Amino acid sequence: MARRELARSAWETIEFLGHPRRFQCPRKTTLLPRRTLLPPAARCLSTTPSRPAELTTEGPERFTAAPPIDFGKQDAGDSGDGSPQRVQLRSLRIVPASPSYFSAKPTFNDDFIHLSALLRKVATLPTIPNAEAPKVAWKTIDQYRIMVNEPVKTQRFHKMLHILRRLNTINPSLMPDEVLGAMQRYKKDSQPGDVKPNSGAIDELGRAKGVGRRKTSSAVAFLVEGEGEVLVNGKSLAQFFGRLHDRESAVWALKSTQRLDKYNVFGLVNGGGVTGQAEALTLAVAKALLVHEPALKPALRRAGCVTRDPRKVERKKAGHVKARKMPTWVKR
Amino acid sequence: MSSSRCLRRISQLSLDRAGPSSIAPRCLLTLPQSSTFSTSAARNANPQGKKGSAAPPKRGTRTLNVKKGRKDAGKDAGKKPGPGERKAMRKRIVLSNNNALEVSGLKDLEKENALDGSTEGQMVGIHEDAVDVLRAVEAFKPSQGWSLFRRPATLMRKETTQLAQLLKQVEESEQSTTIRRVLVGEKLNGKSTLLLQGLMMASLREWTVISFPEAQELVNAHTEYAPLPGSNPTQYTQDAYTANLLSQFIKANNKLLLSSPLTTTPSLPHPLPPKPTVKQLADLGVANPEASWPVFTALWTELTQPGRPPILLALDGLSHIMQNSAYMSASTTPIHAHDLTLVRHFIDHLSGAKPLPNGGAVLAATCGSNSPTCEALDFSLQVAEARQGTPDKVPLWNQYKDVDARVMECMKDVEILRIRGLSKDEARVVMEYYAASGMLRARVDDGFVGEKWTLAGMGNIGELEKASVRLRVGAMGYR
Repeated sequence: MARRELARSAWETIEFLGHPRRFQCPRKTTLLPRRTLLPPAARCLSTTPSRPAELTTEGPERFTAAPPIDFGKQDAGDSGDGSPQRVQLRSLRIVPASPSYFSAKPTFNDDFIHLSALLRKVATLPTIPNAEAPKVAWKTIDQYRIMVNEPVKTQRFHKMLHILRRLNTINPSLMPDEVLGAMQRYKKDSQPGDVKPNSGAIDELGRAKGVGRRKTSSAVAFLVEGEGEVLVNGKSLAQFFGRLHDRESAVWALKSTQRLDKYNVFGLVNGGGVTGQAEALTLAVAKALLVHEPALKPALRRAGCVTRDPRKVERKKAGHVKARKMPTWVKR
Repeated sequence: MSSSRCLRRISQLSLDRAGPSSIAPRCLLTLPQSSTFSTSAARNANPQGKKGSAAPPKRGTRTLNVKKGRKDAGKDAGKKPGPGERKAMRKRIVLSNNNALEVSGLKDLEKENALDGSTEGQMVGIHEDAVDVLRAVEAFKPSQGWSLFRRPATLMRKETTQLAQLLKQVEESEQSTTIRRVLVGEKLNGKSTLLLQGLMMASLREWTVISFPEAQELVNAHTEYAPLPGSNPTQYTQDAYTANLLSQFIKANNKLLLSSPLTTTPSLPHPLPPKPTVKQLADLGVANPEASWPVFTALWTELTQPGRPPILLALDGLSHIMQNSAYMSASTTPIHAHDLTLVRHFIDHLSGAKPLPNGGAVLAATCGSNSPTCEALDFSLQVAEARQGTPDKVPLWNQYKDVDARVMECMKDVEILRIRGLSKDEARVVMEYYAASGMLRARVDDGFVGEKWTLAGMGNIGELEKASVRLRVGAMGYR
């Protein structure tokens, strides 16, 4: 950003040479298209080795210094007489657009100044409470540091985030496109709510399908309206699960919502042990039930049928007897 | 040890030593040679003085024996049960529970309404006479929940009515009709109970009742057996079992039949009293187990004479008699169960090879919990079910598998009676009975019944009882 501004301001300086007023570089107007204008073969100025590619989704921004201004060549093309300009040039003081022009890595400063200016511009727009503002996942400081390839201080970054949050609370119906575009730069690639689970559909036979997992078992349940018949892998519930507790687990989603006599379940389970299979079925049946009656979600969540239990067998470690157990201490 | 055994032991000692002495030099692990009657060498090998000077225990071995559950700890654990006591406890049949409430309005099944389907879907009590009969033929099983209620009662479910219809058909037909059915269904679905209900109804209708309560006992070689003289291929009689069966027959069948005189003159190894009755004939077999099989055949001939009542033959645990028995022939080959005379007798009637001349029913129940795998039987039952339901889709035997041809032959055209789960109405009746007995303390409403019905695997009655009555009783620590 700075390099192009330098280039632009330099050119404007040269164009301005004939005018008597003090030269001031204009503020940049747009932020978005600048990345597309970058020369592809630009060289990174940083002396630190570039970070491994897998750490970052997008590499650090390329940085190119502005070409040196050749004053002698300039006046030859523009005006017939070069000597009075050369005198004027010497008395001129060029003010760079960015206050951080003379620092090695001005990107963060520029970003900060840009956002501050933007906020000053839109400060009068009505806002909504922070809680009601759209949920945004901002880039973490590490992600931002990688993006700009600059050692940004945490405190300063938080100040910038503060501005961003304030911009985010502008009433969405009045949100200017300029602000939206500016905020885009600081958002993570994936935002909360981006990935929407496809809500299942009831097929032409009236079946809703749900999939559940627990430990190493996985289960698929098909739910149709009926009178409480349950088949698991083609067997009745009592045949498949010897323990009453497991049977209750398998249909717990229906039992806890008093729907046991309103649906028939056809379950397919594989993998794992008996308890795992029963609890995988809990989840599968609950998900299938949510397709039929989405309003039951809070009730099912209270019954513990919505969240997948992520616990698995912990792996055994070298030097241990089991995952954590150490061999018995023996004196010598 | 008695003195004679002591003497024998000593003489054996000297013989034992004399035998292996010739090969002893070749054996690396020879014991120290010593004269049989001297113990000095053995004593020298471990002198008393060296007792304490053994090497100290190795590192890591436990020297202080303070752990519980060691062998010595069990020494004073009290008196052990005597021989047979545990089994008697296990097989004990308890038919009443004084703590359970009397269910008001529970009517007994009577002779008049036994077969007319008017009690379908109701709980009926079992009449005391019928209880005696069923006890005699060991129709009550220890695993069933009779001990939870005041007095025995059963649910007249849909399948019971089907069976009653069949029995009624036998009674009403002009010519003799033999009903042959195999009762199949899931585990705990009430197959044995349906058999019990069949026996109950038949005994109420004054049929002759003969039951093999546990087919496993016929074939597990716990009773003596002997080849039947003059049989080819050799058949084997089980005298003690047959004598026991005859004594059960006497207890289970009505006095009128037993006191009726014989119409045939059987030739038996033991003399009969003059003007013998049926009971006297059976008693002869009970008193002389070695003659029990001829007595049984004579009794059967007598029972199948014209004018005698219909017969109900029942057997529980069919798959046990559809394989080799645990008995061995003289050439130490296993004897097929069908070579046992009693099993042969039952199988002949089940397969229809021998009809019952006065009509009757042959019922065999499969067992869900204690049944050896018998692929031929399973296949035959599948075929039988397919014949009844979808005759165009009868399964075919896998030609690359060995088949027990005798099983396939005898099960060729048998019919099955499939027992499914209770309907919700029936489940409700049962649970109301549980509640009325005070064994189920919950309000029996649609939601409760539906929940238990589902958890019991779509109305499996055994599971229903487990889930609603036994679970609570078990939780209280009373079984």
